[in-house]
Amino acid sequence: MATDTQPASAAYSMRKIVKQFPGVLANDRVDFEVHSGEIHALLGENGAGKSTLMQILYGQYGRDSGEILVDGQPCRIDGTRDAIRLGIGMIHQEFMLVRRFTVVENVIMGMAESSRPVIDLHGAAARLRALSKEYGLQADPYDVIENLPIGVQQRVEILKLLYRNARLLILDEPTAVLTPQETASLFVVLRQLVSMGHSVVIVTHKLHEILEISDRVTIMRDGRVVGSVETKNSSKDELARLMVGRDVRLRAEKSPRAPGRPTLRLEEIRVKDARGFDALNGIDLTVHEGEILGIAGVDGNGQSELAGAIMNLMPITGGRVVFNGEDVTKASPVLHHQKGLAYVPADRRHVGALTDLPIHRNAVLGRHLEFVSPAGMMDESRIESFSKTLIERFGIRPNSPAYMAGKLSGGNLQKLILGREVMRDPRAIVIEQPTRGLDVGAIEVVWREIIAQRDAGKAILLISAELEEIFNLSDRIAVIYNGQIMGVVETADASMEEIGLMMAGEKRIAGGEGQ
Amino acid sequence: MKILILERRLVPSDSALAIAVTTALSVLAALLIGGLLMIPFGANPFQAYYQLFEAGFATWRGFGFTLVKAAPLIMVGLATICAWRTGFAYLGFEGCLLIGAAAATWTAMQALPGGFLEDVPFFAFLPVVLMVSMCAGAIWSGIVGLLKSRFGGNEVITSLMMNYIAVFVVQYLVSGPLRAPGDLPQSPRLPQETWLPYLFDGSRAHLGIVIALIASFVVWVLLLKSRIGYELIVTGLNPKAARYGGINVGSRQLLAAFLAGGLAAVAGMVDILGIHHRLVDGLAEGTGFIGIVVALLGGLNPLGCVLAALLYAGLSVGADAMQRQAGLPASVIFIVQSLIILFVLASDLMRYYRVRSRATVVMNTKVESR
Repeated sequence: MATDTQPASAAYSMRKIVKQFPGVLANDRVDFEVHSGEIHALLGENGAGKSTLMQILYGQYGRDSGEILVDGQPCRIDGTRDAIRLGIGMIHQEFMLVRRFTVVENVIMGMAESSRPVIDLHGAAARLRALSKEYGLQADPYDVIENLPIGVQQRVEILKLLYRNARLLILDEPTAVLTPQETASLFVVLRQLVSMGHSVVIVTHKLHEILEISDRVTIMRDGRVVGSVETKNSSKDELARLMVGRDVRLRAEKSPRAPGRPTLRLEEIRVKDARGFDALNGIDLTVHEGEILGIAGVDGNGQSELAGAIMNLMPITGGRVVFNGEDVTKASPVLHHQKGLAYVPADRRHVGALTDLPIHRNAVLGRHLEFVSPAGMMDESRIESFSKTLIERFGIRPNSPAYMAGKLSGGNLQKLILGREVMRDPRAIVIEQPTRGLDVGAIEVVWREIIAQRDAGKAILLISAELEEIFNLSDRIAVIYNGQIMGVVETADASMEEIGLMMAGEKRIAGGEGQ
Repeated sequence: MKILILERRLVPSDSALAIAVTTALSVLAALLIGGLLMIPFGANPFQAYYQLFEAGFATWRGFGFTLVKAAPLIMVGLATICAWRTGFAYLGFEGCLLIGAAAATWTAMQALPGGFLEDVPFFAFLPVVLMVSMCAGAIWSGIVGLLKSRFGGNEVITSLMMNYIAVFVVQYLVSGPLRAPGDLPQSPRLPQETWLPYLFDGSRAHLGIVIALIASFVVWVLLLKSRIGYELIVTGLNPKAARYGGINVGSRQLLAAFLAGGLAAVAGMVDILGIHHRLVDGLAEGTGFIGIVVALLGGLNPLGCVLAALLYAGLSVGADAMQRQAGLPASVIFIVQSLIILFVLASDLMRYYRVRSRATVVMNTKVESR
């Protein structure tokens, strides 16, 4: 039944898809095709454009150009209704189920039969039972969703699609919320589906799952497809390189430098996320004077929690933060500033800056007390001259202190934030995702400044999801996965492949800290 | 061929001109619809509007009434600005106004024969009554602020509930502790020395408008020029950024609550000492809510709030006159007032578009590389 030997049999294909979001080209002439009876993995880092592509296929986003073909026929997809009619179904990472409703109520919701004056729930339940049996997806139609475990809820999502006669099932990060056992039974279900002629696309960045379940892999990076391979002819190393190894266009000039004494030490840091799960599981790290310690990792493995924990912006459940031999675990942000610990947050527009205020008001964020007159008024003339210095030194454009920060480009906004923190003359800086979304020119400026700070003897903790950046800037690299440090290596000794495997949780270096 | 097209902007145009034009268009649109509503009454809309504006703004007497009505609206508007720009979604201004009115009444009653403020000259009495009212209002709103900053209580719900309590507190006071002998549940008439003096002959305008204008200036300086104001605004714009910037978000919200309560209480004081001269049941008449609308209409800016309050008060005064002279129901003007608010608030949407005439559409194919 599986016929992926003939390329002409593509059941669903997308050709030259272009999708432009303000400031970001999410999909750049992307070609993608799925054959019937195959499990196709769509691999890529966060922000590579894979979710956007799938949302275009499912009709949630329009496209700027390109066409979608179903069984070789060009089709209009203007909304999810069209996609469902064409047999396309999608399961999002967050399930779209009404928790108080029963399984069958959820399944028929939004379908024509649920809008009739009298709903034939029993008829629907009977059809659902037949489907469950046919595909081996056990679920009682009358169970209430909120009483069901996550794995069964996912099964209900699949049944929902099958009930709508979906031929292509798109699953966005399907295993993110599952236990290993639930993952194993999901894979059994997926195999059953393709054996009956359905097609499955799983969107993921987990390599071992791809190798285990998929027939083919399409790899995306920066909005483009960089490869499409048969899984059996590929290897974990090759996939890791395709996913993260971009051709290096940027090089940071950096002289070797002997690190000084330890400045910032993290001891057994533990943090729980909003749901009560362990976000950080005993992090031990040391950053020295004149050193950049890079934290590599796929987004969402505890990086932002790490920064939040160091800066005491997030409740710590265990461990200590030691700065210059002093315990600052419970120190307030103001105290951090006074002691010389600065922070450049990842979220430039919502944490690092106030987009509704002008540059000069942003320039003093975190240190406004230094710019207050004895009468308690903001000292406008000093703020103005300080802002001008900042603008000049870091080349912020436009160079007017009264310009609204929210209207600055990402690069200029980042220069403003980084510049503000640097002008404080701190002893250590925690920098999170410093160049996310920036263009090449801005990246260069930011990189140069980070290296200048290192050369000036500052201890720098650089958290970045961009491997290229980590490799270019760091003296040492620590890899974070699932709230744990998988190992710390000297950059000179590290290979992209090895780091990639550690990022995917496939490899762990014993010993941790190499001091 | 040239065509006019409506093009969506990525960011709204926020130039002063754009805001002025959209606001003016909103007011015009509301007046236009109001004019249509007048036609079934056989009235000439132009004449009716002329009478309306003449009564509200162009006669000395009418303008006096406008100022009297505007003063408490400005105070509640300022209170709204302080609370809301700090991200404290307070809705209890009506209650603060009542508590402020009760406190002012009690203070002024101390100037009755035998009271401890008897024979105190007005210039000394005024600061005392201001302080007492503001403290009473600040404590009243501070309860809500404390519940919010300490326990995360939802200030929308608690402040609305506190309004009801304030209404009943006033009812209690006028039927018991502060009741004057007689049939009506009301306090005794306050001694004339405690009344806010009238500003001009032949006009009802009293000192309240001066207090409101001074308060506007103070709030403007406090919010936009002082360190406290910076911290309040940063807290309101984004608590995360505030925390990152070392600002104590909880204490700033509590401060905003105190400011809001204190300012709204002055509205009550102004009405008691300027108009009613005694505490009566049902004196707030929704001023605590209309003031919120006025603040929003003024773009949560102290200066804008003054203009919006004058406009709103003038329309209300004019509506009464128009009802008498043109035989039109005042409800037409209340509809116009509501429409003005609705349109001005909705007109933000217009700033997201621009009108352009062009013949060809050029695709923007600039690729952002990393």
